[in-house]
Amino acid sequence: MKNLICILFSLLISISNAKTIQVGSSSPVKKIKQALQLAVDGDTIIVNSGVYKEGNILINKKIIFLGKNFPILDGQNKFEVVSINADNVVVKGFKIINSGYASLEDPCGIKVYDRSFVKIENNVLDNNFFGIYLQNSKNCLIKNNKITAYGKQEQLIGNGIHCWKSDNLQIIANKISGHRDGIYFEFVTQSIIWRNISNKNIRYGLHFMFSNDDAYITNVFKNNGAGVAVMFTKNVKMYNNYFEENWGDSAYGLLLKEIADSYIFNNKFARNTSGIYMEGTSRIKVEKNVFESNGWGMKIQASCMDNEVVNNNYLKNTFDISTNGSLVLNTFNSNYWDKYEGYDLDKNGIGDVPYHPLSLFAVLTEKTPSSMLLYRSFMITLLDKSEKVLPSITPDNFIDNAPLMKSLPL
Amino acid sequence: MKSLFIALITFLMVSCGSNEPKPINLNTDMCDFCKMTIANGKFGAELITQKGRYYKFDDVSCMVQFAKSSEVPAKAFFVNDYLKENELVAAEKCYYLKGGTINSPMHGNLAAFFTPKDQEEFQKKLNADPMTWKQIYDSYK
Repeated sequence: MKNLICILFSLLISISNAKTIQVGSSSPVKKIKQALQLAVDGDTIIVNSGVYKEGNILINKKIIFLGKNFPILDGQNKFEVVSINADNVVVKGFKIINSGYASLEDPCGIKVYDRSFVKIENNVLDNNFFGIYLQNSKNCLIKNNKITAYGKQEQLIGNGIHCWKSDNLQIIANKISGHRDGIYFEFVTQSIIWRNISNKNIRYGLHFMFSNDDAYITNVFKNNGAGVAVMFTKNVKMYNNYFEENWGDSAYGLLLKEIADSYIFNNKFARNTSGIYMEGTSRIKVEKNVFESNGWGMKIQASCMDNEVVNNNYLKNTFDISTNGSLVLNTFNSNYWDKYEGYDLDKNGIGDVPYHPLSLFAVLTEKTPSSMLLYRSFMITLLDKSEKVLPSITPDNFIDNAPLMKSLPL
Repeated sequence: MKSLFIALITFLMVSCGSNEPKPINLNTDMCDFCKMTIANGKFGAELITQKGRYYKFDDVSCMVQFAKSSEVPAKAFFVNDYLKENELVAAEKCYYLKGGTINSPMHGNLAAFFTPKDQEEFQKKLNADPMTWKQIYDSYK
């Protein structure tokens, strides 16, 4: 028994060896850099509220770095504000503002250099060139940060959360606006993006390049310059996201280019120029999504193959589907189309006549965009009706054999 | 009067067959090869076809691949000067660096410089290899 107490006691001592350093105007340690020098691995630094203009703060020890009442770390538009160059660092509760602005280097609010198990939580980042940048990092968590910038159209600005060559990341519940891309993934694998809100970014709300085996779930992408882009990627899961109000000539709710083996489930695409634009995609399943009030619900280019479009609702879109070729290598099945005018005599909920989702006019505008002028004219409506009965210009195998009579409760 | 008319006609014809690049509108224009919105005015590129159509790109590699796959031959190529913000200059007049720490939107990783002096200076800074326009053009199939 006595032995046990001894062991426990020594354990306690070894734990309490880690000390806490207070930084602030009323503490003996006034500067963060001074505290960082005093600290050893395992220590905690608590920074009290105030404004700290100390240039670049480099954390190269395994410490816990906490802010009390959001102390302000100001980069004075000259420096990278916080650089993390150690494993297991926690950065929590800071307001990080005004990082440097440079077009040749990429100064950041917080940058992690080749590290693992770093946690960046509950920070406010305001007016930085890049917000949070993970370079070659593993098993990191970025949670509950609010990242804002004020990028303008004709100006170079960095991304909100930029991840490069990383693995096993968790990006959870961040709010990002005003950057180039809200969240940018390049060569990032086995990672999850969950419950983020990415609004009003200049280019994309979320941008995937060469990033395999990732998932993004329950995010909101609204009012971004061109929506969300998933490119040159395999095996991405996209669940329960909102893609809203991405308007513009080259804007899409979701842009898919050269992607394969992915699953798009239960998302909502509302009020976009095009809900989904697909090019060179294969073996993707699009299931139980809602396409509502878009210009085009889906644009499927002829370079796509073996995609399955099942059980989706198409409501109030100007065009439900459009394509640029006559080759159809994708299947449509059991979707609800609000433009379907068939009947259901056997009352099994499935229309008795197949539905051709591709309207004549969608094909025409794809070939000559300016023919849009004639939309809703009498002749076009007439032609559209006759095309529905006897397809001549539109590919006749572009067909939903079991269109639903009622919209799915999604 | 007649001379004025001729002058007007020649002016019109000249302006039709313009060899001047059109400026790229950052964050609005789309790359005609990879479909991404062009956001970085250091790596953009543009070509004019024989028929006078303009195509814009976010990366020099996109432009070269587009030119190689296109049926209409190109008349002129332009690239962004790496040291300026979104300024297009004739591609064959530039000096290039490839690789190193250069990170372009579509990983062509090519930076164009207007003078050999700049190229030399940044070769060390960026740890990259020098290239000529012809080498670049021939390196894609």
